[in-house]
Amino acid sequence: MILLRLISWPYFRKHVLRTMLTTAGIVLGVAVFVAMRTANQSVLFAFSRTVDRIAGKTELQVTAGETGFDEDILEIVQAASSVRVAVPVIEAVVDTNIKGEGSLLILGVDMTGDRSLREYDLESGEEAVIDDPLVFLAQPDSIILTKEFAEKNRFAVGSRLPLGTVEGEKRFTVRGIMKSSGLTSAFGGNLAIMDIYAAQKTFGRGRKFDRIDLAVKPGHTIAESEQELRTLVGPGFQVDPPSGRGQQFEAMLGAYSMMVSISSLFALFIGMFIIYNSFAIAVTERRSEVGILRALGATRRQIRWLFLGESAVTGLIGSLGGLVFGVLVARAVAASIGGLITDVYGVAQHAGEVTASFALLAGALAIGVATSIVAALIPAQNAARVDPVRALQKGKYQVLSAGESRARMLAAAILAAVSIVCLTVGGSRVVFYAGYLLAVVVSLLLSPLLSLGFARMIRPLLKWARPVEGALAADSLIQAPRRTSASVAALMLSLAMVVAFAGMARASYTSIIDWMNTALNPDLFVLPSQNIVTRSMWFPPAMATELAAIPGVARVQMVRDVRIVFRRTPVMVIAIETSSVQQTTRRTPVEGDADEMYRATAAGQGLMVSDNLAQLQHLRLGEVIEVPAPLGVIRLPIVGIVIDYSDQQGTILMDRSLFERYWHDDSVNVFRLYLKSGAQVPDVKQRVLERYAGQRQVFVLTNGELKGYILRITDQWFSLTSVQIAVAVLVAILGIVNTLTVSITDRRRELGVLRVAGGLHGQIRRTIWLEALSIGAIGLVLGFALGAINLYYILQIVHRDIAGMRLEYEFPVSVVVALVPTILGAAFLAAIWPAESAVHGSLVEALEYE
Amino acid sequence: MIELDHITKRFEGQRQVTALADVSLVIPRGEMVSIIGPSGSGKSTLLNLVGGLDRPTSGQVRIDGATLGGLSDDELTRVRRDKIGFIFQFFNLLPTLSCLENVGLPLHLRGWPRRNVDARARELLTLVQLTDRMEHLPEELSGGERQRVAIARALSVYPPIILADEPTGNLDTQTGSDILALIRDLHARLGSTVVIVTHDMSVSQSCSRTIVLRDGRVVEDVRRSK
Amino acid sequence: MNSARRLITKARRAGSSLWPRASLRDARRTGARLRDSVAPWQRFLAAGFLVLIVSSGYMSAQAEDARQIVEEAQKRSDAKSQRYEGLLQVFDTKGKIADKRWTFERIGSHGQSKSVVRFTAPAEVKGVALLVVNHPDRASDQWMWTPAIERDRRIALQDRSTRFFGTDFSFEDLEERDVSQYDYTLAGDETVDAAVCWRIQSTPKQTRSSQYTRSIVWIRKDNYAFARIENFIRDQVVRRLNYSDIQNVQGIWTARRLEMTDLRRGSRTVLMLEKLQYNVPMKDEDFTLQAIRRP
Repeated sequence: MILLRLISWPYFRKHVLRTMLTTAGIVLGVAVFVAMRTANQSVLFAFSRTVDRIAGKTELQVTAGETGFDEDILEIVQAASSVRVAVPVIEAVVDTNIKGEGSLLILGVDMTGDRSLREYDLESGEEAVIDDPLVFLAQPDSIILTKEFAEKNRFAVGSRLPLGTVEGEKRFTVRGIMKSSGLTSAFGGNLAIMDIYAAQKTFGRGRKFDRIDLAVKPGHTIAESEQELRTLVGPGFQVDPPSGRGQQFEAMLGAYSMMVSISSLFALFIGMFIIYNSFAIAVTERRSEVGILRALGATRRQIRWLFLGESAVTGLIGSLGGLVFGVLVARAVAASIGGLITDVYGVAQHAGEVTASFALLAGALAIGVATSIVAALIPAQNAARVDPVRALQKGKYQVLSAGESRARMLAAAILAAVSIVCLTVGGSRVVFYAGYLLAVVVSLLLSPLLSLGFARMIRPLLKWARPVEGALAADSLIQAPRRTSASVAALMLSLAMVVAFAGMARASYTSIIDWMNTALNPDLFVLPSQNIVTRSMWFPPAMATELAAIPGVARVQMVRDVRIVFRRTPVMVIAIETSSVQQTTRRTPVEGDADEMYRATAAGQGLMVSDNLAQLQHLRLGEVIEVPAPLGVIRLPIVGIVIDYSDQQGTILMDRSLFERYWHDDSVNVFRLYLKSGAQVPDVKQRVLERYAGQRQVFVLTNGELKGYILRITDQWFSLTSVQIAVAVLVAILGIVNTLTVSITDRRRELGVLRVAGGLHGQIRRTIWLEALSIGAIGLVLGFALGAINLYYILQIVHRDIAGMRLEYEFPVSVVVALVPTILGAAFLAAIWPAESAVHGSLVEALEYE
Repeated sequence: MIELDHITKRFEGQRQVTALADVSLVIPRGEMVSIIGPSGSGKSTLLNLVGGLDRPTSGQVRIDGATLGGLSDDELTRVRRDKIGFIFQFFNLLPTLSCLENVGLPLHLRGWPRRNVDARARELLTLVQLTDRMEHLPEELSGGERQRVAIARALSVYPPIILADEPTGNLDTQTGSDILALIRDLHARLGSTVVIVTHDMSVSQSCSRTIVLRDGRVVEDVRRSK
Repeated sequence: MNSARRLITKARRAGSSLWPRASLRDARRTGARLRDSVAPWQRFLAAGFLVLIVSSGYMSAQAEDARQIVEEAQKRSDAKSQRYEGLLQVFDTKGKIADKRWTFERIGSHGQSKSVVRFTAPAEVKGVALLVVNHPDRASDQWMWTPAIERDRRIALQDRSTRFFGTDFSFEDLEERDVSQYDYTLAGDETVDAAVCWRIQSTPKQTRSSQYTRSIVWIRKDNYAFARIENFIRDQVVRRLNYSDIQNVQGIWTARRLEMTDLRRGSRTVLMLEKLQYNVPMKDEDFTLQAIRRP
């Protein structure tokens, strides 16, 4: 401790900027970690809390995926011996059309029984007109709002509120306002209560419920009841406590959460390099100081602890800063994640407030400090090894010793071999990830040697371009590989990530566009809501005939897609009119015979599954799978595996007749319209809209609009990762700044000589810039190389564990080309300040003898 | 011609140090002057001011009639690169560059074409009798050889003024006198003005004029005939 | 009118709720018997809408008189069918809140009756119909038809202490009390509205869960018609039901005006029976789900 105060503090004070930069590395790393995790948690938490608040005293919920089920299930559940009370629920999310309010979660309940589970405390306004329960039930336009929502938007009892329904926009009458309570805080207060039967009609749900909420009879345990109900309702249903929905939501976001984890860890990893870099430099710079301490009797142990102590303090301060910063930006991140989740998964949620859990913060703090200490381990070890006699002599200590290089080479070669073995052996997930990790370690081991090699290679080039400045910039890199290599490594890692993500994004785009071009070829799509993934409202099948009758329409196909739980995972079921689809949209299966696939599917004798589902669930062609449905379990063979990106967790395609039979559901999510030749798309679109004007809420998208919409969602998905990439690059740039500030200190004398010898400011700057650009260039080369490897692994991970997408390996040349100026520009920016300080230092001091 | 007009240089700090107090000097063209004095007498400061490496607190430095005060850093550098060559006690060669490159450095900085730079550097190294060491790195040379390279670098454009700060201070006696002989020889052949800061009496005695500084003041200014 | 509204508002703020709270504890207490013993609407409608509230049973020699009286009162009100037009008015301490009108029809004898209520006013609830089909051996089936959404719904009622659609009656108040589950004691004579009455205390037995600790029933000595019921929670009267305008309609002494006062809320609900008729010819097919869908 006393050493820290006497030795470290003055050093930190002397190198304020460098200390700040070092700390900034950790701040950024921890901040990204905290922000991403907090935002993610907040979104999940908000969802769970909404579920929780809405659940009230509900102990179990009966659902059938998100398909809903026939009303008579309610009687079965109510008749169960362990059930005290069971009430039906419908949930729908509608757009309020109020600026800044977003969507409103409508809970359709049966008021005559529901109060056993939920508390509805109503508050009558001053002008209480009707708050008669009979009126509420009798009038389908009745709605009850929360006090929060009503006050914010100046609604009172009797106010009218327009909402989109299947029958177009309708005005609802506020017949009650709920007092603030647990329930009213669900969905950020944007909650409304409607009679369940009115909700069925309003949202085109037919005679179906989304869910049954129930409480268990005294004397029965929840587990008993769960067991009883499972037997009663069959495998097509899920019987879970309300918290189960939160888990399902999380499962659905699996791919997304994994991305968040990878990139937030990555940010920390890069922060670690900044710390390592700083400490490696500090140790070499303070060699003589360490030598003196050793000469004065400090043990190796004490020296090691001195540096570890410094890193712990830096880590602590940086992590604290990161926590604050992270929590501050978490709100914005949460908003964007929320939007993304709504758009990608169609699950609306309202992360009203961002709440950082103590565990997360404590964890992040610990990780930050640990990262910092780990990063300082090697430098601290080097410091402890300092020989007191040699340390006090002047000499070159920055150069890598031949022995060390050899050791690195050897280690790298061995690990590379192991990594390749891991890859070829394949199979187990652990082996695969170990191989990935080893590949990264190899690249880190080699990065000093490689950056040295590259610096030597570019020296003639730089010298040719700028005989003095260029040669000296290259020499600076060559002379101090330790100073340079950590920055290069940090840059390499972040670029490798950029390349991999870009490659993945590109491959995804290619695949998605391919899929869209084959699978989504109708001219028009008719949807009940603006958002194609929202499934709050359904169309009746009778509309198919009406649409077919519209002039210009050649063919109408009905599609119903729902998310169900298959093998404990939420997957998408898409019911299609197979025989019609076969004629318009013939897909070539990845596995299986196209003719047989369509024939068996149309006949209801087989199922088509998406490639990603097959991959994630290890399904094979011909395998008989069990798809649970409310009216029984479908046991059919897989007759074809096709590319389909409707859902990240996978898709099961079946014939509409099969779906109708097992779900007893003939509603439609989307009508696919093919036009007669000669018919103009805009004309027909207009006719469809006119046909339903005032009767139904209908959204018509052209083929291009739908594809654009999907691509926009895809963009959004990747935009989040690009933010993280930006942070990674920023951290890498911090590394460059750090390296350069050290470099100009080291080169102070040299730069002084240059100035004495007639170097103008511009020339001095140029040598610093060239050094930065060289770091950037080497980082680019190594980054691209590692990126090429990384991309392979990322695609494998996506394929195996995230989305099951079979993506083509394609090096993202355009991104790489764009990265060159970006990184060189960033390196240049990083060099501006160091260059200025190099130019403006005192010449006399620079030349003073040490 | 070097003119110092009432030069005062103070270093601000917790303890104010007056390095030079109201020094006025004129060193005519072609003179070889030595400046001597004990440590801290201000002789290096004087040299730095003449070389434009530092700026006086008050007073004016004029080189060939041009006032240095008021010039920007780059303008100072231009004066320096055209008129002044520097020789240091610790040579200040760049360790990563070969002798040829070190000598060519100021020429490259002036933007000379590569071919000319190479030719001139070779010429200069021949001048300092290092024809066989051209491609060597400084660390491969002896101290005397390094100083020769440094001298060759200082001569790059045959500047009218050469400033040397303890050029023999880091060398053994024999080598030191060789270097001094070289400087004298060059002075004679090129006719440059040479100012040598030294505390080596043998060096000062070989100069035609010796200025003695003590506590920032000129206490003696001796011209001796050859 | 305005002041009345304000008062109502005030009273409501003081603790009313539209959908009366059902605490889990309450519900648990009633839990086990809930499904088969409680179908308040059924009892309420089957009993001829409050014409017969309390049925009796013998318990002990001492209570025999009291129980006989209650049983006699029940016997005298029996009819093959019944029809009336009801006017329901809810008053707060300051005035009227809302009127509702309906027509009521009932067919069949005790325990097997079917009844239909059709709301006729106000406009918001016009056409809403309730059908109750009683079964002697199990809980009744109840449906509600709401014409605006063209849809019938099964009614599941799961808590008896809650208010009946915003009135001062709780569902329990409307239910036919299971005679064997009460103890009756004759507590002397008392005059209600200038009529001499028996004052009978009824206490639910252990097996019978009730929101009330006990009730006191006044039955007129001259015609065995109910005159008043007071319901207690511990020692406090919480609801009082007054029967007035008692007339002999086709040989059955029937109160034409019923007034329920909620003493905790300070509000009261008045039900008036108009155009009351007994033993009107009715058809079974008018008491079906299909029938209530017809306007």
